[in-house]
Amino acid sequence: MMGKFAAVLPGELRYAKNHMWCRTTDAGRHRFGFTAYAVRLMQDVYFLDWQVNAGDVLQHRQTIGHIETSKAQSDLFAPVPGTLIEFNEELLKDPTAINIDNYGAGWLFEMEAADAGIMTVDEYYQFLDGNWENTQRLLKGHM
Amino acid sequence: MSRHRLTVVLSQAQGKHPVKRGLEESIVAALIMEPGLDVSVVPYLYDLGPDHTGRLFLESVAGDMVVLSWLYPRAAFWLLDRDGIKGHLGETQLKPPTADEEDEDDEEGEPEAPKGIGAVDVPDRFIYCLDLRDFNTADPYVEEIRRIAAECRTRQEEKAKSNAKPVMVDLGIPLAASRSPDSFGQPETTNGKNGQASPPTFAPEQLLTTPDRRWYPVIDYSRCTNCMECIDFCLFGVYGVDSLDRINVENQDNCKRGCPACSRVCPEHAIMFPDYKTPAIAGAPVGNISGLKIDLSRLFGGDAKDALAQAVTERDRELVNDGRTAVGMTVGIPRRQAGKPQEPKDELDNLMDELDKLDL
Repeated sequence: MMGKFAAVLPGELRYAKNHMWCRTTDAGRHRFGFTAYAVRLMQDVYFLDWQVNAGDVLQHRQTIGHIETSKAQSDLFAPVPGTLIEFNEELLKDPTAINIDNYGAGWLFEMEAADAGIMTVDEYYQFLDGNWENTQRLLKGHM
Repeated sequence: MSRHRLTVVLSQAQGKHPVKRGLEESIVAALIMEPGLDVSVVPYLYDLGPDHTGRLFLESVAGDMVVLSWLYPRAAFWLLDRDGIKGHLGETQLKPPTADEEDEDDEEGEPEAPKGIGAVDVPDRFIYCLDLRDFNTADPYVEEIRRIAAECRTRQEEKAKSNAKPVMVDLGIPLAASRSPDSFGQPETTNGKNGQASPPTFAPEQLLTTPDRRWYPVIDYSRCTNCMECIDFCLFGVYGVDSLDRINVENQDNCKRGCPACSRVCPEHAIMFPDYKTPAIAGAPVGNISGLKIDLSRLFGGDAKDALAQAVTERDRELVNDGRTAVGMTVGIPRRQAGKPQEPKDELDNLMDELDKLDL
C-alpha cells in the first residue's frame, strides 16, 4: 500500500481523504485522528497548533491548524463540513500520543457533522493504492 | 565611543513553541553582551498592527537594522517596507546549510532587480533580515550580526568621509548594558531576557503584548510589475493604488484568513503570504526551496488543481462565507490567460510550475 510497508488500519473505523480516521461516539459526534499512514509519513510529531476555536463552523477542507514533525510540516484541514466541538487538549501540551497511540489517546478533535465523503476501510485502501504514485512524486519533488 | 550603533530586533514566533523560544532566548542572551548593538524583542512581525508598541518601536529606528524573524527574509523585508519601515536590502551572508552550491546569482529580493518596479522613498539605511529557521543554534546568527555590524560601521565611516555631513541621529536608541568596543569575549554578566535595551517609552512588556493573528498579502516590489491583475482578481478590496498609481495592499485586514488566491494569480509571483505553508507563496528565497521539511498540505488537503482554478475556488469560498455570490471564472480572470506572450521564466516561476504540476 505504501510501497512495501503496510500500515495498520482498523476495520471498525471510517476514513477521510485527508488521512484522518473517524469514529462516531455514543453522543453522535465524530472523533477524528491521524491514520497510521499519515503518522508514518510525518514521523515524530514536534508541534501541533490549531487556528480555529471550539464552536467554529468549518467548511470542508478549510485550514484549521498546522503540524510540524521530524520529517514534515503541513497545514491541517477540516475532513468534513460541520461544527468543531472540542480539541484534544492533552495533545497541545504533549503531542507524542499521536505517535504512540494514534487511534486512541492521539485523537485530534471532535465534530458535529454529517459524514458525507467518509470512506470505509476498504475504500480507503483503494484510495491509498490509487494515490501512491502521486504521493511519491510529492515526496520526491520536495526532497 | 562609536556613534554607529546597530539595532537588532528579534521577532518572536507565534505560539509558544519551546524549541523556538529557546533559540530566541539564547540569541538575545548572546547579543546583549555584544558592544555596539541595541537589542530588542517584539512579537511575530506579521501580526503587528499599526498601533502595536512593537511596530511603533520599529518605526522609531532610523539607522541600520537587523531583523531576526521566523519569516523568509524576502517576506520580512517587504512586510517592513509596507509598514513604512524602509531601507535598502542588506545582503546577508547567512545561508541555510543546503544553499551553498547555488548562490552565484544574487538573490531576487534586491530592490534594484530589473523585473519589478522597486520600492520608493527608501531612506539611506540598510535593513538585514535573517531567518530564524535557518539554524538551530545561536552561534551562526551572532557571528553574522557581528559581520553586519562591522559592515555597517565601515559603510558609515566611508560615507562620513566622503560627504562630511552629520551622521543620522538615532531617535530613541538606548544605551546597551555593555559598551566597551573591545570587550569581545569578556562580557559582563547580563540577564538575557531582562537586560534587553529598550527606550523607556517602549517597555518590554508593552513591546511583547501578544497581538491578534493577522492575515494579508505582502508585495515584493522587486518582482511586482504593477500589472494590476491582483486588484482585478481580489473582490474584497484588499488592494489599492497609491498617489503614484502603484499597487499597494491598502486594506490589509480586509483579507480573508487562509486565502492565498491572489498570490496564485500574480504572474510574477510577487505576492507573498508569509504564513502560508507552501514556501514559494510564503516568500522563500528564489532557487532555494530544498532542504525544507516536506510540505504534506496537499496530501492532507485532498485534491488539488492548477493555480488559477485553485485561486478561483478559494475566492468563491470566501465570497460565500461573506454571504455574497460565488463568481467562478467570470470576474477578474487574468488577461494573460488569453495568450500574452510568455517572458523567460526565472527560478521562482519554474518552481511554481513544478508545484502546480503535482496534482495530488
